[in-house]
Amino acid sequence: MKALYIASTGMAAQERNVEIISNNIANMRTTGYKRQRAEFQDLLYQQFLRAGSTTSDQGTAAPVGIEVGSGVQTAATPRIMTQGTVDPTEKDLDLAISGEGYFAVQLPDGRTGYTRDGAFDRSAEGLLVDVDGNQVEPGITIPDNASSITISADGIVEAYIGTASTPTQLGQLQLYRFVNPAGLESIGDNNFVETAASGPAQAGTPNSDGMGHVMQGYLEQANVNPVTEIADLIAAQRAYEMNARVISGADEMLSSVSQMR
Amino acid sequence: MENAQLISLSRQIALQRQMDVVANNMANINTTGFKSENMLFEDYLMPGASDPDFTGLDQDLHYTEDWSTIHDMSTGSIEQTGNPLDVALSGQGFLTVQTPAGPRYTRNGSLQLDASGTLVDLNGNPVLGESGPIQFDAADTDVMIAANGAISTSQGSKGRLAIVEFADPQALQREGSNYYSGPTGSPATGTRVVQGAIERSNVSGVAAMTEMIRVERAYQMLASVMQRQDDLRNTAVAKLGDMTV
Repeated sequence: MKALYIASTGMAAQERNVEIISNNIANMRTTGYKRQRAEFQDLLYQQFLRAGSTTSDQGTAAPVGIEVGSGVQTAATPRIMTQGTVDPTEKDLDLAISGEGYFAVQLPDGRTGYTRDGAFDRSAEGLLVDVDGNQVEPGITIPDNASSITISADGIVEAYIGTASTPTQLGQLQLYRFVNPAGLESIGDNNFVETAASGPAQAGTPNSDGMGHVMQGYLEQANVNPVTEIADLIAAQRAYEMNARVISGADEMLSSVSQMR
Repeated sequence: MENAQLISLSRQIALQRQMDVVANNMANINTTGFKSENMLFEDYLMPGASDPDFTGLDQDLHYTEDWSTIHDMSTGSIEQTGNPLDVALSGQGFLTVQTPAGPRYTRNGSLQLDASGTLVDLNGNPVLGESGPIQFDAADTDVMIAANGAISTSQGSKGRLAIVEFADPQALQREGSNYYSGPTGSPATGTRVVQGAIERSNVSGVAAMTEMIRVERAYQMLASVMQRQDDLRNTAVAKLGDMTV
């Protein structure tokens, strides 16, 4: 009886679904987190009778066939790259992107990480770094005696050096975008790295060429909506139970067979 | 006397397949764009021995045969996702997907872009517009998909999704991966595209569960019928073969 195995694929899929949902809920307050969704697909069908096969010498054909499926599989867990809400933090090096684009950071292993988490700080050398101390690309050094740092919507970093009466431009932040951002690989620590599916990163100036603009003193919250996550969790849990019930149903059928003489 | 057992057996075999169908529906209760499947049965009249010289006709024997599985093409619940590349189809239409094996049709509107900016489904196969695959480039933002399937971005029109309808959706065959194959469809007239939403599976948990219990009980009942037939035969052999009377 295939029903046992079909139902077990259903349980495995719902288990995966609950994992994805719980990760979304766990990251509900993670800056720049983008929620994921489990997408399922039906497995192959066994054709006992193909639609259109001849059923008599007169050439009549079966209008419909007999198809019995073999369960479900997880097809993908795409990230939903919608904008999260931006919360004011009043910290001068907290940046949020409103619109398209990612900040780039230099990871210790030599790769470039792309992130929507703009909670930046200064390193001991005055470089602009993320919370893990990775340097933000392109490197911007803020001198010790700088004050009143302002970052404009198009990413220009300015500060008053010492007792100067006019601000000095320290550099301009770049944003990076991808043809297919859902194809980025998540490596944790709020960072993504590019893959063959995402396409190469394309650099651009904030607030132009379709890039989003930079907001100083704000952070982008996760785009997780707790209400839909809980509703999805309930649906997944019920689906899991129903599949478990199918297994026990199939088991009862088999046991009634084994009780026959 | 074995006839009753053989008839029960034909029904049990059919019920096992029906259980598989129910299990498959249940396993796909969260599959985007999945359409539930139902099994139809018919009776199969066993050709009996007949001859004009026979005094009475043979008794008709009706076996059970699974005749077909039909697709329940009702629309599943439409769930808002807010993802601009998610589309749900309201109506009987299907999206056309170019697979290596030829065009396939799907109701799963969870679309993506690949590295070259082509609109693809979750398997990476291009989703066709009326004039071939739909191509985006990096400068495109604010994707809008209109109710008639026309796609536009900040850079202008990108084409229109090839949505097809079928005069007889039952003629479609399931291919797995949410795909259907079948005859060439005609351009949709009564299908509306809803952007930012996906269509959930139309499997109803309650109905599937009830169906399963029914199948299970029918199967057990037949097992008990077969058991009694066996007992009957056993008694007959014992009684009729008893030499001590």
